[in-house]
Amino acid sequence: MRRALDALYDGCAWLAAVFMIGVLVMVLLSVLGRQFNFHVPGTDAYAGYSMAAAGFLALAHTLKRNEHIRVTLVLGKLTGGARRGMELWSLSAAVLLSGLFAWFSLRLVMQSHEFNDISTGNDATPLWIPQLGMALGTLVLLIAFVDEWVLELRGQRQHIGGPETRHE
Amino acid sequence: MNEMLVTGFLIVALFLLLGSGVWIGLTLAGVAWIGMELFSSRSAGDAMAVTIWGSASSWTLTALPLFVWMGEILFRTKLSENMFKGLAPWVNALPGRLLHTNILGSTIFAAVSGSSAATCATIGKMTIPELTERGYPPERVIGSLGGASTLGLLIPPSIVMIVYGVAAEVSIAKLFVAGVIPGLLLAGLFSGYLMVWALMNPDKIPEADAGMSFGEKLRASSELIPVILLIGGVIGSIYVGVATATEAAAIGVVGALLLSAYQRSLSWQSFRDALLGATRLYCMMALILAGAAFLTLSMGYIGLPRHLAEWVGSLGLSPGLLLVALALFYIVLGCFLDGISMIVLTMGVIIPTVQAAGIDLIWFGIFIVIVVEMAQITPPVGFNLFVLQGMTRREINWIARVCMPYFLLMVLAVTLLYWFPQIVMWLPGNM
Amino acid sequence: QAKWDLATAYPASNFHTVNINQFVADVDKASGGKLKITVHPNAALFKAPEIKRAVQGGQAQAGEILLVNYQNEWQLFGADGLPFVADSYDEAAKLWKAQRPLLEKKLAEQGMMVLFAVPWPPQGVYSKKPLNSAADLKGIKWRAYSPATARIAELVGAQPVTVQAAEVSQAFATGVTESMMSSGSTGADAKLYEHVKYWYDTQAWLPKNALLVNKKAFDALDKPTQDAVLKAAADAETRGWDASKKANTESLDKLKAGGMQILPAPAALKADMKKVGDTMLKEWLDKAGPEGQALVDAFRK
Ligand code: NA
Ligand code: NA
Repeated sequence: MRRALDALYDGCAWLAAVFMIGVLVMVLLSVLGRQFNFHVPGTDAYAGYSMAAAGFLALAHTLKRNEHIRVTLVLGKLTGGARRGMELWSLSAAVLLSGLFAWFSLRLVMQSHEFNDISTGNDATPLWIPQLGMALGTLVLLIAFVDEWVLELRGQRQHIGGPETRHE
Repeated sequence: MNEMLVTGFLIVALFLLLGSGVWIGLTLAGVAWIGMELFSSRSAGDAMAVTIWGSASSWTLTALPLFVWMGEILFRTKLSENMFKGLAPWVNALPGRLLHTNILGSTIFAAVSGSSAATCATIGKMTIPELTERGYPPERVIGSLGGASTLGLLIPPSIVMIVYGVAAEVSIAKLFVAGVIPGLLLAGLFSGYLMVWALMNPDKIPEADAGMSFGEKLRASSELIPVILLIGGVIGSIYVGVATATEAAAIGVVGALLLSAYQRSLSWQSFRDALLGATRLYCMMALILAGAAFLTLSMGYIGLPRHLAEWVGSLGLSPGLLLVALALFYIVLGCFLDGISMIVLTMGVIIPTVQAAGIDLIWFGIFIVIVVEMAQITPPVGFNLFVLQGMTRREINWIARVCMPYFLLMVLAVTLLYWFPQIVMWLPGNM
Repeated sequence: QAKWDLATAYPASNFHTVNINQFVADVDKASGGKLKITVHPNAALFKAPEIKRAVQGGQAQAGEILLVNYQNEWQLFGADGLPFVADSYDEAAKLWKAQRPLLEKKLAEQGMMVLFAVPWPPQGVYSKKPLNSAADLKGIKWRAYSPATARIAELVGAQPVTVQAAEVSQAFATGVTESMMSSGSTGADAKLYEHVKYWYDTQAWLPKNALLVNKKAFDALDKPTQDAVLKAAADAETRGWDASKKANTESLDKLKAGGMQILPAPAALKADMKKVGDTMLKEWLDKAGPEGQALVDAFRK
């Protein structure tokens, strides 16, 4: 289970990285097209979709590396049960909010499909396709928060790799 | 007053969620959700998804991930080391020495990038490790970076100016030109402050390197060639019409990769680390931007900023007092909203008021941009603070505190612009 | 009492927004305050491409869209973007009369209604260098911001380039783009006279903004309020067309005052463009099918 979950987070992160390269390639195509007289329609839109996919797909991986920021001023001063209680509270809030985020992202995809919402630009992409990245990314983020919540409850939660916040 | 109650309630919710350690992007979304469900007759969910998708996939933002990536690549080259070696012999006599690299670097990079977050992330990746290693006090290193990187908004090109220019129907070209001198003025104020501080605290600045002859200095300067080529290439690509201001970021990434290959620091390992590092750093920002976009939407529905702006407009103040009131209004708003949202949500109401008071709209644009710059470093919601927290892992209240002097310097700058409007108007007037 | 949100992407001072604000005030008065509409200009609520689905999904009860933007979804939305089909205000009014029933049917299927439509001023060609015929456009960097403008570039052999609206002015200044098709008011708003010398008044087409409402929200109003809305909408349409003509004159004056040359299209350019228009109409009819043919027939009747 642990390995499957980690593979899920890392797999999505790699996909995000590929889309990051996609942003670069799309913007470069637009620049090079002007210099060498060719035209790839819709590069601006594809760059935008790639950027969205890069941002959303890396959400869980970034969380697991403890690189999403939060205010740990109070948390850092607590120890033992109080700290655990507060961590559970903030993780519960995160599960709820990322759950809403994931649910309505899925609904966005379904509605775009149902409404036949098509990009108004030169790319003419049916928008539910690029929106899948947002739905998948937020869903995996929800899974990662539930994962963290369970780990915290069992007292097994640790921050892998990420440097600890400094208090002073 | 009902408005006050709503405001108070949302601020309390924001502080409770943030204080209890809920992730920042989710907190903003949470407050937006509560606000919309309780204080507007609209339901939040679908509107949230539409608006977050729209902002996350918006073409105008694509420069941000690319500049973040450029910074991650450069961080893994010897570029920043070289840059510091080249600059050090020249700034030895200057009080504050290499601390000024933050100001200088941000000012130059501001001419490439239209966003303060990108400036902060890219320059910070290079200067923070080098300066800290050389023994400069962290509070000056991070504070000066947080303050100076907001110049990305004032020195053209600037996304905020484009948004304002469209809303106020003033020439974006004139706005861009008008931002140059105030931008340099701010940079000068920041540097001046660092010098005064360094003169008062000489023991806190690391020792100067051994003296060099002029020839040695020149030889050391050759270390600056790569960074000059890179920055020159990126700025040049905009001004010779190879790339638009947004596309220049892609030129920056390619340039950084070439440089890294030339310096033999490009390997599969370093490429992968930079790519994944950039993806994570951008992802951290993207979650906050998503929350901020939803909060903007929620505020649009509830109408809080609009009503407050209407209220300020209805006071019938003299131009001077109106500006003071607007500055206070935007500073307070800027604690909770990001800059572009503030402009989009209030301009419809504010512009007629400002025009009626006989205030020049170009001047007011620069005024607004500086106030938006302040908003980047005021807690609890300040985008540069978040970027700095992501990069340094320090507490946000500490970062906000070390950025405070630069906030005050911006207040001083706005006051100067009020008394000497020529600082803004001279260049566009001569176009 | 009902409260609506009305989303629009244009600034408060744009003539479309001014017209909409008047419409809102009229509705408020005629309904005796029973329907309060809040206008959200500047894309403060939703950005331009999101407004249609926001109205459809009920996130905003009303919204203003540029019809041609939605041509990818349904060809007939793009009918007023066909070059040289309806090339004057009178022709545009005729086209709108033919378009409206078809549009109403389509929007009804999507749970929406159209209240009124107001055209932008006629589209001309901005160019940094003088043009005599379409041959002068060969290889020139041409801003392609919609499927139609991209196709025109292909047909005249121009180099289509992608530049966002916000960067148009700078793109002309640095030479990223050298030419584009747009109305006089676009150029006046972007102060294009600072960088561009010529505007050729080809009157290629008059794209329209339409005000859409969510059908459920409209049906939820009582009969007198519905009537008040429809009456105010009819007034807004009449007023809007006049405002568009006025905006056209004013913006061309602004361009002239800024030093731009406002020229009638040279005969050769006009003839070449007409050919482009014929090709595009044929292509459009292939895609739009019998519905498209019906529209053209009704328009040409
Ligand atoms: Na800038
Ligand atoms: Na702030």
